[in-house]
Amino acid sequence: MLGGLAQSNACACASESSLISLNGVSKIYHTDAGRFVALDNVNLQIQRGEFVAIVGKSGSGKTTLINLITGIDRPTKGEVCVDQVAVHRLKESEKALWRGVTIGVVFQFFQLLPTLTVIENVMLPMCLCNLYSGSERLERAYQLLRLVQMEHQAHKLPSFLSGGEQQRVAIARALANDPPIVATDEPTGNLDSRTAASIMELFEDLVRNGKTLLMVTHDPDLAARAQRTIALADGRIIQA
Amino acid sequence: MNIDARWIKVWRDLWSNKTRSLLVVLSIAVGVGAVGMIYNASQLIQRDLYGQFRQGNPAHVYLYLSPFPKEVANVVRGMREIRDAQVRRVVRAEIGKSGGGFVNLNLHVLPSTSEVEVGRFFVEQGAFPPKVREILLERQSARLLGYRIGDSVPIKLADGREYSLRFSGIVHDLNEIPFAILGDATAYVSVDTLRWMGELPAYNRLELVLELQGERVSKETALEAAEEVKKRVLEPSGFRLYSVRVPGVGSEPGDHWAHNQIRGFILILQIMSVMATLLSGGLIVNTISSILVQQTKQIGILRAIGASRKQIVSMYLLCVLIFAAAGLALAIPLGWAGSWWLASFAARFLNFDLTQVSLSFEVILIQAGIAILMPLGVAIFPILRGARISVYEAIYQHGLSRGRVSRLEQLLSRIRLADPPLLLSIRNTFRRKARLVFTLSTLTLAGAMFIASFSTHSSLVAQIHDAERYVAFDARLPLPQGTSKIAAEREALRVEGVSYAEGWAISEGVIVRSDSSESQGIEIVGLPANSKTIRPKLVSGRWLSGDPNSRQVVVNEDLLVEEPEIRVGEPLRVKVGNRTHTFVVVGVVSKHIFGPRIYMDYTSLSRLTGRQNEVDEIRVLAEEGKLSSVTVQDSLAEKLEERFRNAGISRANAITRSHFLGEFAGVFNIILLILLIMAGLLAIVGGLGLSGALGINIMERMREIGVLRAVGAANRALVKIILAESLVVSLVSWVMGAITSAVSSPVLAAVVVYAVLETQMNFRYSVVGLFLWFGVILMIGALSSLLPARRAASLQVREVLEYE
Repeated sequence: MLGGLAQSNACACASESSLISLNGVSKIYHTDAGRFVALDNVNLQIQRGEFVAIVGKSGSGKTTLINLITGIDRPTKGEVCVDQVAVHRLKESEKALWRGVTIGVVFQFFQLLPTLTVIENVMLPMCLCNLYSGSERLERAYQLLRLVQMEHQAHKLPSFLSGGEQQRVAIARALANDPPIVATDEPTGNLDSRTAASIMELFEDLVRNGKTLLMVTHDPDLAARAQRTIALADGRIIQA
Repeated sequence: MNIDARWIKVWRDLWSNKTRSLLVVLSIAVGVGAVGMIYNASQLIQRDLYGQFRQGNPAHVYLYLSPFPKEVANVVRGMREIRDAQVRRVVRAEIGKSGGGFVNLNLHVLPSTSEVEVGRFFVEQGAFPPKVREILLERQSARLLGYRIGDSVPIKLADGREYSLRFSGIVHDLNEIPFAILGDATAYVSVDTLRWMGELPAYNRLELVLELQGERVSKETALEAAEEVKKRVLEPSGFRLYSVRVPGVGSEPGDHWAHNQIRGFILILQIMSVMATLLSGGLIVNTISSILVQQTKQIGILRAIGASRKQIVSMYLLCVLIFAAAGLALAIPLGWAGSWWLASFAARFLNFDLTQVSLSFEVILIQAGIAILMPLGVAIFPILRGARISVYEAIYQHGLSRGRVSRLEQLLSRIRLADPPLLLSIRNTFRRKARLVFTLSTLTLAGAMFIASFSTHSSLVAQIHDAERYVAFDARLPLPQGTSKIAAEREALRVEGVSYAEGWAISEGVIVRSDSSESQGIEIVGLPANSKTIRPKLVSGRWLSGDPNSRQVVVNEDLLVEEPEIRVGEPLRVKVGNRTHTFVVVGVVSKHIFGPRIYMDYTSLSRLTGRQNEVDEIRVLAEEGKLSSVTVQDSLAEKLEERFRNAGISRANAITRSHFLGEFAGVFNIILLILLIMAGLLAIVGGLGLSGALGINIMERMREIGVLRAVGAANRALVKIILAESLVVSLVSWVMGAITSAVSSPVLAAVVVYAVLETQMNFRYSVVGLFLWFGVILMIGALSSLLPARRAASLQVREVLEYE
């Protein structure tokens, strides 16, 4: 099914080597307060295996940028191509499936489902995208939890975990379907500095293992740990 | 126009969530509409049916006599206790259907010269009295028999003589049980026609209307008056009184024949409609609670900018009032239309005219009272609780994780399934426990009533099956003239296919009580003690011993309802005509439905009636000890009729067992239908409640839906999760409904059976109903999740992740 999606929505604009490619992308919000340009004619290429930090002041357009890449939002103008798929052309339901296998999303507030245990939260994306067999899912979920050092908490509900632990589980969940890209918006924004450091180590491990990591942050120290920094101001890229 | 900003906010809140508002309004409308439907229909029925019935000056009591002249009425009319008296001849005959075949007929003959004063009927077409060789038909009989004015109608008297009469007019008679119910047609001829048919111009029923002393005439007064008439007029004139009866099915004197049944039935429907309204309260509580939860921050802001608790409470009460008013506005026309349908249905069934489908102010008042008070009553608690929150809590604490997980949630987290989406559905179901309780109770009650309706029907059918023991023949042929027992049995055994035949003598008598008063007329059966066409189920005592000199009787439970003093082992004085014999009650058999009966040995009855060696009915079996198929029964009946007609013994129609039982089943199906419609209304309220609760759940969990989307949930997965949640609620409610139905079913069955048959009965639980409800509840679950699932699928991830 995903193969079909990729074929019917193949990206004409994308350069062969880039994993993520934005071409003339603008995002304009029409609110009661008037027209607001969140992104203005952005062009961007991200290569496979890069660790990219997206920085900028509040309202500069960094969350909008990552939302467009993950398909959470739709551009007003321009093309967003990820792994040869024109994301902007996908329907909401198609995008969900595509995202499930292509991008693991890690939110600032972890967003684990409170009624599912840790292991069930990690297994959820595999079930939703119908990947792996029943026993493989369980095995893989444990493996991912081991990776984030959370296997001993596998059968607890999220409310019994600390913020850092929840974020580790969220990362494990993001990796469930082995996506090439992990996108994260202020992943340590809600954590103390020690926990934040351990999460960053985890991200670095992921990149070492070939994942492409996009991280929105306003913390210059965190951004410094990335290989590349994209700075935004007033919806435009001022450093790429 | 300067409207207070608070009220504008209330309106916008309602308008911004039209689907949810509509669900609440519909739910109120269905419940309150059902109340209006039942109350208004009940008023329409009482006004038109009872009004038209009373206009006919109904008799308080009937006296069945040996043939007497019309002058008797004049003498009786002179008595102080009697306001009106009238003579009538009711001839049991048969009438041909336009499409062939005969059915039972009550042929009424009234004096041609005087006006009909008691039990008046209305001539709709033609004139009364009809001319010689003309016949008037009761309108339902005319319609169902398929005749048109001018048609020739074949009439067969009990002795087999056949006449052809011209159908000259249509009569509407509310005093007679309609053809559709009893299967007996009603027709009217003049005395001259009766004479032309070779019958004596004499009467057999004296109908009395008593002087009222107070509001009503009691059964005792009616029977006492009949006794007075007997002593002062009938006995001195030499007329024999066979039996005394209060018209109707257990009715009080002067009441419509189905008065008790209608009252009982309306009561049941009223209870169910009030229940539907209460159930819609569940949805209101759920909705208001969710609005409050959703608006906690706003409430905090309102309080921060100076709103008092009272002001906040009044805002949300206004919101409830708007729901109530809109619900009422819908409920009034819905209830009116429903009452029109129900009253029209009753009018067709009970054969009365619906004059005007009005809506009484009283009914509107009841609806308004319920529509406004009920929602306010149930919503006030969550509103007061919601308005109590402090500014700090509302703005800074709200939405933070509770940190604590309930015991139930912990317990549910131990369920291990390989499918997390399914686990999500199951666990989500139990997250909002109060909401779940309301939704579950609605569906549980709907289920309990649904299953109870089926169980009531099953119990009624079981009662028929129980009564089948007393009609354990393949075919039965009445011998209206009475025939020699030996001749009748011999003739029956000559019919091809008959292997067993037995003759029964049937008479009517009364019980003479210890204070010398007499009961109403009771059917007395004289049969062989080892009868094979009856399989008595003994409730107490034993069956007849077979000794013709032992003077034993067995009575049925139906008789015990009317004469509760009868005891096994005690004497019973039975009177037929002028003879009174004392018997010993040796046993009581189970209910028959078709009325009180006394069984005695054939010889004992012969002695009591003075008719030696005569029988009034022949009952046959194709195979001894076994009942045959419908086809065999029909064929036996046909051959039996032919044989006895050719032998010149009886020209009556034979009745098969299946035909006899089938007539009861038809009436019971109508009862089931009406009960199911009410259970259906409860189910609609339940479904709306479930849909509303799911909708609210989704609204509260928008962020989670966003996360699901973010981790790869396509539309199908989302729909599946919501559908599964709905089905989990439905299934739980099914289990609870099944448990509750163990109580609701026997209660409803007992109440309905008492209302309809005026008897207590053996209860039978309907497993079919239980599993049918399983199918229905799954459908309700699936349908209820449609709207919420569509809504969830249409949400944009960015919107929901930003949602607060």
